[in-house]
Amino acid sequence: MNIDFLYPYFRLDGLSSFVAAAIGLFSVLTIIYSFGFMRNRHGLLAYYTYIILTAIVSLLAVLSNNLILLLVSWGFLGFTLYLLINMGDENASSAAKKTFIIVGGSDALMLLGIGIIYYLSGTFQMDAIKISFTAYRLPLSVTAYLCIAIACFAKAGAMPFHSWIPDCAKSAPIPVVAFLPASLDKLLGIYLLARISLDLFVMSRALNILLMLIGAFTIVAAVMMALVQHNMKRLLGYHAVSQVGYMVLGIGTGNPIGIAGGIFHMLNNALYKSSLFLTAGNVEYRTKTAELDNLGGLSKAMPVTYISCLVASLSISGVPPFNGFVSKWMVYQGLIQNVTESQSLKVTSLVCLVAAMFGSGLTLASFMKLIHAAFLGQRTNASTGKQVSEVSWQMWLPCMILAIICVIFGVFAYQIPLKYFIFPAIPGVGFIGIWYAGLSTLLIIIGLVLGILIFRLKSLKPVLRTDTVFTGAETILLEEENKVTGTEFYNTIKELGILKSIYNKAEAGFFDIYDQAKIVVFGIGKYLQYLHNGILPTYMVWMLLGMIGLFLVLRAH
Amino acid sequence: MILPFFVIIPLGAAFLISLLGKKLKNFADLLANLATFSLLVFSLYSISQVFAHKILVYKVGSWIPPIGICMVLDGLTSFMLVTVNLVSFLVTIYSVSYMEKYTDKYRFYTLFMLMLAGMNGIIVTGDLFNLFVFLEIASIASYALVAFGTEAEELEASFKYAIMGSVASTFILLGIAMLYSYTSTLNMADISSILSGKPVNTIVGFVTVLFLAGFGLKAALVPFHGWLPDAHPAAPAPISAMLSGVFIKTLGVYALCRVFFNILTVSDRLVFVLIVLGLVSMVVGAFLAIAQNDIKRMFAYSSISQIGYIIFALGVGTPLAILGGLFHLFNHAVFKSLLFLNSGAIEYSVHTRNLEKLGGLNSRLPITGYTSLIGSMSISGIPPLGGFFSKLIIIIAAIQAGYFISATVAILVSIVTLAYYLKFLNFTFFGKLDELRLKIREVPWAMRLSMIVLAIICVASGLLIAPLFKPFLESAVNVLLLANGYKEAVFGALK
Repeated sequence: MNIDFLYPYFRLDGLSSFVAAAIGLFSVLTIIYSFGFMRNRHGLLAYYTYIILTAIVSLLAVLSNNLILLLVSWGFLGFTLYLLINMGDENASSAAKKTFIIVGGSDALMLLGIGIIYYLSGTFQMDAIKISFTAYRLPLSVTAYLCIAIACFAKAGAMPFHSWIPDCAKSAPIPVVAFLPASLDKLLGIYLLARISLDLFVMSRALNILLMLIGAFTIVAAVMMALVQHNMKRLLGYHAVSQVGYMVLGIGTGNPIGIAGGIFHMLNNALYKSSLFLTAGNVEYRTKTAELDNLGGLSKAMPVTYISCLVASLSISGVPPFNGFVSKWMVYQGLIQNVTESQSLKVTSLVCLVAAMFGSGLTLASFMKLIHAAFLGQRTNASTGKQVSEVSWQMWLPCMILAIICVIFGVFAYQIPLKYFIFPAIPGVGFIGIWYAGLSTLLIIIGLVLGILIFRLKSLKPVLRTDTVFTGAETILLEEENKVTGTEFYNTIKELGILKSIYNKAEAGFFDIYDQAKIVVFGIGKYLQYLHNGILPTYMVWMLLGMIGLFLVLRAH
Repeated sequence: MILPFFVIIPLGAAFLISLLGKKLKNFADLLANLATFSLLVFSLYSISQVFAHKILVYKVGSWIPPIGICMVLDGLTSFMLVTVNLVSFLVTIYSVSYMEKYTDKYRFYTLFMLMLAGMNGIIVTGDLFNLFVFLEIASIASYALVAFGTEAEELEASFKYAIMGSVASTFILLGIAMLYSYTSTLNMADISSILSGKPVNTIVGFVTVLFLAGFGLKAALVPFHGWLPDAHPAAPAPISAMLSGVFIKTLGVYALCRVFFNILTVSDRLVFVLIVLGLVSMVVGAFLAIAQNDIKRMFAYSSISQIGYIIFALGVGTPLAILGGLFHLFNHAVFKSLLFLNSGAIEYSVHTRNLEKLGGLNSRLPITGYTSLIGSMSISGIPPLGGFFSKLIIIIAAIQAGYFISATVAILVSIVTLAYYLKFLNFTFFGKLDELRLKIREVPWAMRLSMIVLAIICVASGLLIAPLFKPFLESAVNVLLLANGYKEAVFGALK
């Protein structure tokens, strides 16, 4: 495809072309899935309009080579996301509001960043901009970079701008979640982050370290939150946040292999995460619940869904030979390569490496819980009954396609995705796999073992108790105490000393930037409201004071 | 010459309506709509006049200025005329159905036409005292219109508004008197040319403060804004739309622009004052708006905040900033009147404006819902609607001019703006519908029509900014950039 005649407004290069292709794939799959899932709902015309608009505008955003054009399409996506979330359950409107305030607010910051870029470079044309962080104008260029990076973080869901994703995952219609927060928003957010870090700005070491720390923190903190969730969709939502950490970490490494890993991870994540959300949608569609406590034993009833979910889970946990393994491994390679760099970068890289490994182990543990609770274990009330059977083909086909791609991208990583999509996008990636390959593999194995260990430790007791099910005489006891759902696996983590208070605060919204900002804004608002007491003389006094101030400033000079 | 019609038509309509409105059924509706429609046509025609002649001066009674009064048509005038008459035409259509619930509809139209005559007069006049007269006509009509419901709330609001408005008018009159004593003339162009021959002294500084306070109060700049949050919600919805949409801009922003840019000079300190007033209004209005639970009160505070953006942009003062400011003025006129009309439609259907008692109305009032959505998104600066582009231009212009901190504040305020408009949408149109309201119906067609047209303009002003709005806005910007060249332009046109 040649779009040179649209230059300089649009441009197609290695990076944007494969992101555009991915957007096309996800749009088609989402629409197919929606034919099954959204059947018999109201407002379908509006729904499909928004979905198609989202797809078109996302393509515009990715292909645009002009910052204003990018900003317009980028901002419009927040709006369609808002409308789409609003089509969900009864809590959807607050989730939509929260989402749009965070995403739309970050778009406003992006406007500021673009304004500063224009001030510094005098152009909106993206391939003509190259800003380096020199001492001259340093605060401005850093502000510009951070403003746009915040927009990317909010879109992709990196901490601390992540808090809309779990809420949205729980309340929005599942195809929407799989389409936007899980795939398209990740693609766009990380695409832009890569674009500004690689092309628009010349990265400095301090910013790389900042990105890496944000990435590592996101991985660990979000996966810790995911561990204790009881709702399948919310759990997946936290994983959607956690995975962003790997991408940010990869881009933050600043060397080609790490960046390539981050971008490959973005693609992989979109694949398995939308597959996971779609399978969660299948489960919910049949059982009418997404609470893990009420699910269980669905593997027989929904085999295709189960297999897809299993593949995607293994993939997200970084188990070879699935695609998640390859990209995580590349990110680790990038980090290890930084060890030869300066002291500060070396220390940060090592810390991040450990965090990423740890996060990977916890991811595996968390998905063992999910698979166990939803598909294995024993059948519960919600998951028995005639209607619980495999979903229609429109719904299982997208899951399966995505799962197959996960396998292909893992097994033939070098032959297909890296060769055709990733390496053309990132200049300067040499042949990889020589440096410390053994160490990385070892670390991944350690991560896996860690995950299995955590799973074993916590699941030992309930697994043993399953025997009581078959005695038949103790049904009541079984319902209330011995029910084996798998959701309690990690409750012990919640009770561990310092973690306990952190979890409590997290649940109270203490780490939620939205809730905190709300308190501040309403605090100021209430104070100003208190001043506006509606008494005329007060207002007249203000007027007088205002005039005195004006006289002081404007007195003859 | 079309200029006198902008005053004659509404004045005549007011006279006829008050005379015959009670006797002839539907006469008031018909005449008022006819009058505003013809005004809209005239104002659109004035654009072509401006492009053809740049500036036109009409001598009232053929008296040569500065002895006689003159009316001036230039880019800024025609820009304001289009804005005001567009909104007033749509508002009168809306009133046909909305005002049914009030008795004495013809009195409403009489006052409305008087107010419109005052606003158009302010815009077209080239004489400072004449400006004051029209300002008083518009203000007094608006005091009465705010009290139109004659409930306790309305009367209280109107009382406060009348007191504060009169104080402001007095300041303006005092300022005009002092200028007159200093320059011995009342013609704007003449004052400007005499002032440029004299050294700057205390009197000019004093007059500047008086005008800033007076027009600032009409524009509801913080700290002169105390009347607005009471007056705008208390008025009937069409009047709220007029007051927030165009009234504060004509009496406040336009008058400020004309006086400071074309008659007095814009000194560095005045720039500083304008920027500070703009920023303070922006911030205070936004924080107050988000704390409100009454829809119209929220919108009223939001007007304060948005006026802050306009004044801020004018203070920055580069051509791009002024363009952004004027474009924002136009956009704000459109979407704020749209939002007030929406609030009226909500009140019309469910008889409350308390956010906590609303919810889920989108299923029953789809047109109100979607037009509110467009209006809210436009004011919050969501692309590709008009409000986004005016915000974009203002921010970029501010950064280009080196106001980094102020631009950051403006951006942060826009996030708060988005938050309270989402609060409004969330509580009103989304969420759960009260079961008692399952039977409510969409508002009558006249109300729907004007909301739809305004929503279309919101979208169009964003999509068509370059082909349609840019030349139109630039001719207005050029007038403000003329600064002291205004007098030469006016005198040149007289010869």
